[in-house]
Amino acid sequence: MSTGEAVIAAPAPEAPLEEPGFWTRWSDRINPILVREMQQAMKGRAFVLTVFAALAVSIVIAAIVAGNREAGRRAGADAFDAGLATLVPMVLFVVPMQAYQSMRLELRAGIVEQLFLSGLRPRSILLGKLMAAMVQFALYVSVMSPLLATSYLLRGVDVPTIVVSLVWALVFCIAATAFAISAAAQAILPAMQAFANLGAALVLGIGTFSLVAFVGSGEYSRELPSLLNSTAFGIVMSLVVGGGFCSTALSLLTAQSFLLHSFENRSTGFRVFMFAMIPVAYGWTWIFVPATHWYGAVPAATFFLCLLGVVFGIFMTTEQRALSPRVFAHVPRHAGLAAIAAPLLPGRDRGMSCLILYFALVGLLALCWWPSVAPAFPGWTYREDMLRLLLFTAAYALVYLGLAKALRARLPASIAGNHVARVLVVVMVFGFCLLPVLIDAFTRGRVDWHWGHAMNPFWTIERHAFRTRDQSPNAVPIALTALCAAAALQLPAMLRGFVEVLGASSARRRRQAGTAVQSAST
Amino acid sequence: MTPLLEVRDLSRSYGKVQAVRDLSFAMSRGQVTGFVGPNGAGKTTTMRIVATLDVPDRGDAFVDGTSVLIEPRITRSRIGYMADQFHPYPNLDVLQYLDFFARAYGLAGRKRLQTVRLVASFCGLLEFADRPATGLSKGMGQRLHLAKTLLHDPLLLILDEPASGLDPRARIEFRVLLKELAAAGKGILISSHILSELGETCDSVVVIEKGARVVAGSIAEMQQSVRHEQEVLLRVLRDAEAAERFLLTQPGVSQVTVDGTTLRFLCTADDQALGDLLSRAIGAGLSVVEFARTEADLEDIFLKTTKGRLQ
Repeated sequence: MSTGEAVIAAPAPEAPLEEPGFWTRWSDRINPILVREMQQAMKGRAFVLTVFAALAVSIVIAAIVAGNREAGRRAGADAFDAGLATLVPMVLFVVPMQAYQSMRLELRAGIVEQLFLSGLRPRSILLGKLMAAMVQFALYVSVMSPLLATSYLLRGVDVPTIVVSLVWALVFCIAATAFAISAAAQAILPAMQAFANLGAALVLGIGTFSLVAFVGSGEYSRELPSLLNSTAFGIVMSLVVGGGFCSTALSLLTAQSFLLHSFENRSTGFRVFMFAMIPVAYGWTWIFVPATHWYGAVPAATFFLCLLGVVFGIFMTTEQRALSPRVFAHVPRHAGLAAIAAPLLPGRDRGMSCLILYFALVGLLALCWWPSVAPAFPGWTYREDMLRLLLFTAAYALVYLGLAKALRARLPASIAGNHVARVLVVVMVFGFCLLPVLIDAFTRGRVDWHWGHAMNPFWTIERHAFRTRDQSPNAVPIALTALCAAAALQLPAMLRGFVEVLGASSARRRRQAGTAVQSAST
Repeated sequence: MTPLLEVRDLSRSYGKVQAVRDLSFAMSRGQVTGFVGPNGAGKTTTMRIVATLDVPDRGDAFVDGTSVLIEPRITRSRIGYMADQFHPYPNLDVLQYLDFFARAYGLAGRKRLQTVRLVASFCGLLEFADRPATGLSKGMGQRLHLAKTLLHDPLLLILDEPASGLDPRARIEFRVLLKELAAAGKGILISSHILSELGETCDSVVVIEKGARVVAGSIAEMQQSVRHEQEVLLRVLRDAEAAERFLLTQPGVSQVTVDGTTLRFLCTADDQALGDLLSRAIGAGLSVVEFARTEADLEDIFLKTTKGRLQ
């Protein structure tokens, strides 16, 4: 492809171009969105004013601390608390809200479509915005760093406390910015705009105020040193960093799915994320939780994965049924690869296959691990309870998501239909839980579990998976039957989903063969 | 030779509204094709599909032989799409705006700087280089929009209502830019409501209504096709009534109107028969000052081929 100079019959510029400078050459290697955001920030008033405000606050605090020399060590801790309390709103509210505004601007009147027509993908756009937020974070930290250094020199805090605090601030900043970008991307739907504005402002506002209150009270700087010296530090640190990373990834995936058109593949990322959470959850348990605590941690991780599967399942089973023409055209050519990729490709039938595979994998791993956990506790029935929990959760998930799929099939085959189905599924679960309770309350005057509450997953699981004395002997066979029946009912649809993918793969092979023949004849 | 753009049996519906139905047409390199139709005819939908921003329910479009449906990324490198709305970024000047899109298109180093300046110069933006992109007039804003579209040197330009809202001078300047681009070998698919503008810029035209193609071809062919019953102007020095009586007796002549000494009438005759008619008029003693066929312009073609029905 030639460049503009080749075709456009333009007059030559008045002066010959100079050799690109260091900055120009260096900036070619970084994300264009980051470059643009920085240029805009440097020219905009809001950013410059915020930096100067942070600097002024930093100077005022330093002056107050310097004027109170008698306080000694306590003054150092106070300076640290004040510095951190100033930094928190910057990195948890100002930076994310600027990213939010920037994303909203991008979506205005289809500007983002112009970006898609260039070489930029939604992922690059989102990463560019995240990187711009990180640059701002670095700037705010550098503004506050003299204050943090002062607090250290006054022996108020030690270096590990400062380092850990900054690492956590960075993780929170990244996660909050990704959340804000995701909220802004969701506002691409007119119906979501009010929710996005309110949600972003509320979540970031409440989170910021809570943290400022916690840090400002001095509790944080008092508690952190003891945490640093305890064995729980590794668990807490890994939870904060890992949780922040997962939350950021999920926010970016959500934002990407809203930026992509409905005819692009918006599902595979989520499905891969869901499967990736299996090694993450079990791996974290394996590495960070002491083996003596596995008896509780393994079931907790399993339960978390089951819940994750159910939530993702609602989205997967309420998608449109067929592949969009563009996704259809890009199914792997190799039939084997296509068959392997099928559960990860969009479509509610394949979504159900994906969910069953996911539950099977989680169940298999849990069952492999538990025998090494349970014998450590003689006379323990936890293992059986957990097996029941897994069985009941999977059965309810398949039954409800099967109903969700059937419900979705009766709605228009549009994106709006997907959203309506998702809301209706939640309403349906809520209705099945609440209605028997209301009937009991009004007809019998008291509310006890009976088979009329069988569609209430929470109460039934709580009663039949955990509370041994209340367990009905029929509960497990019934759950097993429901699970098998729900899976069997989905078989034809799942098969249809596979066949569609294999058909697309075959069509692609034919198309490629046709093109090869055409080029050969040409 | 592969056409630059080939739209093949394209159909797209939104719910119950059939925006485009079985639309087919083609255009070649260096050709400027006007895309004409009433509001809601499906022009923007078609252009968005060709620009890979939407997908058809059926059919496909090919840019230089590449399917927009199957290979959107390759297609995007070959097209420049100028949407009907333009919103530049705040706090960026003109050159920074172009520089950002040049980076987005993957241009780097000296090549990027050179391309940005060349494109800005071509679109007459260099003297506004340091102006905020949001502070430009509508006409200059459209030039900036066009400049952004040209950065990666696309083969095909898709311009959706580019002259909308421009003053006459800005329209003329914009038209000149398009002519230069066409002369440089770019294919241009342009939609507009200002048909007189299109008539002067386009080599060919595609007229669509209710999502379906009504007529397509070169403007000369279209003029020929609507010439079946053409309007002829006759001006006499005096005695317009005698001229009217004469015309009403002639075969193939109808709807004679008189305005002073000027008469207009519809005639189904070809060039030879028109020549004979003129000879007979002079032979009948009419003092003919002017005798001319009124050429059908794009507006006539549009009005004659469409029925003004909306979706």
